[in-house]
Amino acid sequence: MAGESNIRTALSNPAGWQSLLSFSILALAYLAAFSSRLFAVIRFESIIHEFDPWFNYRSTHHLVNYGFYNFLNWFDERAWYPLGRIVGGTVYPGLMVTAGTIHWLLNSLHITVHIRDVCVFLAPTFSGLTSIATYLLTKELWSQGAGLLAACFIAIVPGYISRSVAGSYDNEGIAIFALLFTYFLWVKSVKTGSIFWAGCTALAYFYMVSAWGGYVYIINLIPLHVFVLLLMGRFSYRIFVAYCAFFILGLLLSMQVPFVGFQPIRTSEHMASAGVFALLIAYGFLKYLHTHLSSLTKSEMRSLFFFAVAASAAAVLMAVVYLTYAGYVAPWSGRFYSLYDTGYAKIHIPIIASVSEHQPTTWVSFFFDLHVLVCTFPAGVWFCIKKINDERVFIVLYAISASYFAGVMVRLMLTLTPVVCILSAIAFSNVLERYLVDDTPKVHHIEDESEDDEEGDKRNKSKDLYDKVTKTAGKVRKIRHEPSGEPESLGGNVKTIVVMAVMMILMMFAVHCTWVTSNAYSSPSVVLASYNHDGSRNILDDFREAYYWLRQNTDDHSRVMSWWDYGYQIAGMANRTTLVDNNTWNNSHIALVGKAMSSNETRAYEIMKALDVDYVLVIFGGVIGYSGDDINKFLWMVRIAEGEHPKEIREGDYFTPQGEFRVDKAGSKTLLNCLMYKLCYYRFGEMQLDFRTPPGFDRTRNVEIGNKDISFQHLEEAYTTEHWLVRIYKVKKQDNRVRLDHTVRKTDIKPKTKFTSRKSGKRKRGFIKNKLLIKKGKRPSSKNKKPSRKSSSKK
Amino acid sequence: MADCRKIFSTFVCLSVVFFLLVVDSPALGVKKKENALGDKVQQLMEWSSKRPVIRMNGDKFRQYVRAAPRNYSVILMLTALQPQRQCTVCRQANDEFQIVANSWRYSPSFSNKLFFASVDYDEGADVFSTLKLNSAPSFMHFPGKGKPKKGDTFDIQRTGFAAESIAKWINERTDVHIRVFRPPNYSGSIALGLLFTLIGGLLYLRRNNLEFLYNKTSWGIGALCIVFAMTSGQMWNHIRGPPYAHKNPQTGQVHYIHGSSQAQFIAETHIVILLHAAVTFGMVLLHETAVSKGDVGKRRIVTLVGLGIVAFFFSLLLSIFKSKYHGYPYSFLIK
Repeated sequence: MAGESNIRTALSNPAGWQSLLSFSILALAYLAAFSSRLFAVIRFESIIHEFDPWFNYRSTHHLVNYGFYNFLNWFDERAWYPLGRIVGGTVYPGLMVTAGTIHWLLNSLHITVHIRDVCVFLAPTFSGLTSIATYLLTKELWSQGAGLLAACFIAIVPGYISRSVAGSYDNEGIAIFALLFTYFLWVKSVKTGSIFWAGCTALAYFYMVSAWGGYVYIINLIPLHVFVLLLMGRFSYRIFVAYCAFFILGLLLSMQVPFVGFQPIRTSEHMASAGVFALLIAYGFLKYLHTHLSSLTKSEMRSLFFFAVAASAAAVLMAVVYLTYAGYVAPWSGRFYSLYDTGYAKIHIPIIASVSEHQPTTWVSFFFDLHVLVCTFPAGVWFCIKKINDERVFIVLYAISASYFAGVMVRLMLTLTPVVCILSAIAFSNVLERYLVDDTPKVHHIEDESEDDEEGDKRNKSKDLYDKVTKTAGKVRKIRHEPSGEPESLGGNVKTIVVMAVMMILMMFAVHCTWVTSNAYSSPSVVLASYNHDGSRNILDDFREAYYWLRQNTDDHSRVMSWWDYGYQIAGMANRTTLVDNNTWNNSHIALVGKAMSSNETRAYEIMKALDVDYVLVIFGGVIGYSGDDINKFLWMVRIAEGEHPKEIREGDYFTPQGEFRVDKAGSKTLLNCLMYKLCYYRFGEMQLDFRTPPGFDRTRNVEIGNKDISFQHLEEAYTTEHWLVRIYKVKKQDNRVRLDHTVRKTDIKPKTKFTSRKSGKRKRGFIKNKLLIKKGKRPSSKNKKPSRKSSSKK
Repeated sequence: MADCRKIFSTFVCLSVVFFLLVVDSPALGVKKKENALGDKVQQLMEWSSKRPVIRMNGDKFRQYVRAAPRNYSVILMLTALQPQRQCTVCRQANDEFQIVANSWRYSPSFSNKLFFASVDYDEGADVFSTLKLNSAPSFMHFPGKGKPKKGDTFDIQRTGFAAESIAKWINERTDVHIRVFRPPNYSGSIALGLLFTLIGGLLYLRRNNLEFLYNKTSWGIGALCIVFAMTSGQMWNHIRGPPYAHKNPQTGQVHYIHGSSQAQFIAETHIVILLHAAVTFGMVLLHETAVSKGDVGKRRIVTLVGLGIVAFFFSLLLSIFKSKYHGYPYSFLIK
């Protein structure tokens, strides 16, 4: 803290003091947002996480090496063999371009950074920017104090950290910043009604479109806002100007992104914005007529106006419906439709239903990701509705729609998180600003001084960064709202108690966030860690071991078959051609791989030959007890294969008659002999992990495997990593001579005795000296004597 | 004695041959068989044109489904629809089955190769005993030739009895593809229409006094209801359909809170709604008392009550969360 004299001079200029405080709080929030996302980097290393980020990294690498235009025209022949993928036209390039720009900027300043480090730290950097954008938005909506509180909340809330830790180099990392910044600019343009701000909104929207498919949410929420404002009778020319400018510019800009192309005018998801635009134009036109037709009476005018607006709304709706039916506008795509009809994906699109982040959300995960915010943000909604104005309508609509979407899909928790932070910041600040005010009648000067001393004490005492920020955030409000004409004071004690309790709860929140970030969201999932009893750590680096083996030991053009989850990692780390990957655009190709995995070896070999497969890679967690392995995912492979090949693959065959999925002896024969089972458990039956368990004991499923006698005919084991997590098999070339897979048929017919002439039979056939002769018809008791007699006689 | 047996067997053989010769001359037999088959098919067609699912009793079952000359498949539903049986599952299964049967009956590929039939337990208990069944509902397929095999019993436990999965199973067993056509469910749209007309009517009736539309409290309560419903996982309940609560069969103890963080009971979500609402209410109360003008003592009490509500219900929520999320270390006020 500065000295006494400094405070006094600063106090003479409260505005400067206030901006200094808010600046330092924002800087601290930025720092907190950045540093709380670094757990994974500190514990492991600067590495790209999970699956999708590997693709983004690979394409960023391509962009940096070959330039922007080559990136846009990039045809990737290493994915989706033999189809290939037009990468430039099927990605949202915003992320790669952002990272590439930062890399270029740093390098041109002679700060040489590897592109991987730029990618790893991009998400934390942008989370800091997100917290600033949140501050700006909340400040427009409510007040500066609430804005600071919201910035602190979003900096550390787990719902957002989950997708933006260092190394999680994905679209969402920058998209949430773009989303909030667009919303801030939109609110600003609604407030001012200036074309400048609307143009800025369109630019921010363009950035969002280039970054994430979730831009559809913006282009539906903003028209909804305008529509509701019209319904509420809050039409004004500010809204008219803001929306028309934003819509036209945004439409034109969004069509510049190659992946989006003509979608904004050809699909149903965008039709709401066009419809609202038409309606707004009609409304504005009628308003204009209104000023010229003053001959009518007022009531006539009102009814005429009402019916004209209703008619134009109906006409717009009919036009959209007609265009959809006539085929000019594509109907809702499955992914969006499944948000409305929640059972849709489960029946029709197993590949969407199979992804865990597309599951509905339990209340536990809401609480886990938002903690105290989830039960206080409804209070913020309440305050906003109570003091409604044009822009608060927007935030209320945002809250309601986002909470619906987050309920349907865990993944969309990400869009709910910012609004929850904003609204609970409003709720907390609204409460705190009443209780933090020291409104005991005092001389003005002394009052302020005492407050600042108190604040200084708090700063010194508090060790928790976030907590400090929230406290000071409350203070800023107080300075603006000088108590004047307020109701009688509640008394210092009650206020202190309330403030203390609220601070306790906020402190709990900060602690919770740190715990969740550290424990749940900071694992790279490429590198696994296990902890011993004494707390020491084992790093299981099997994935990279296997991918580097592939990179070093296989032909550059060899093709690796694996389940689609690992496609991006194989392409990114091993640099080998894959058949399917995480961009699940071709369901039938995935189903073919699923069919190969779930057929027996002979059938699978035919498919693998048809697809030119050289290596097969499976993930097997039975040795270390890793639950996300291929056997646990296997039923989805069967289901997806069944969807395309219902004749050959039947899900029921992989269950026991009791309807259980078991890998032990009781499991179904089809399962125990399918390719996936054999690849995972090959020679596993010889391995005894523990003295207490039998050989071939699977630790993930806690059973002894049912088929220990596995041998391959068309494949051979190529590599198995240290903990057996990744197993790679080589597919043999076809034999020169096709060996029969069965032994030659044996018959009971004895070879015919050779023809012998009767004349010289004995001589020709040869004879044995001293051969025992048996004479028939004699009793066996005499048999013993006879030969002896005979032999003796011959002698 | 051996001789005696030999003679007897010869006699039996002879008599059988004789019997066959006299009674069942081969040509006649085939013709009669065809006749019987034709009659049966005709009869079945007649029935199924009346109603897509043929109701059968024990005799009909033996004659048309069990007896040998058949060139048609029968999908049989064994069920117990009488009200006194109290089988709600049967009713749902029956509805789905009717949908499949109707789709088949009115599909362009309708033929006499496949029939749908049902046997009610109260009309043909003997059928259940001959098929060795002791549970209803169950679906069986009787192929045109031979006896039902393992896969000919529909696995309700695993696949459920949605019309689509029944149709898929039929497709597997008989190679007859049935495109399930559900009669469009108008109840939703009718309810929506009714709601809108009701609202419209109310608005029209009160057209002189539309002030209530500007009532922020009711709009606020509506918005909060949606938010509470969504954040407490009602959508999860809607999609997954969990039980209301779990009763332990051994001890008779009722659990309202699911033990794992991956699932929840309906009762649990209701509790969570209440807790969320209480915390929100406490926050609003804290704010309202601070700005209201009134007796200071009263306001102090209300403030403390509001604070108590926030702290208590939040810590309750936290403790429930802790009990579900194993390994979570923190708690507040309540363990």
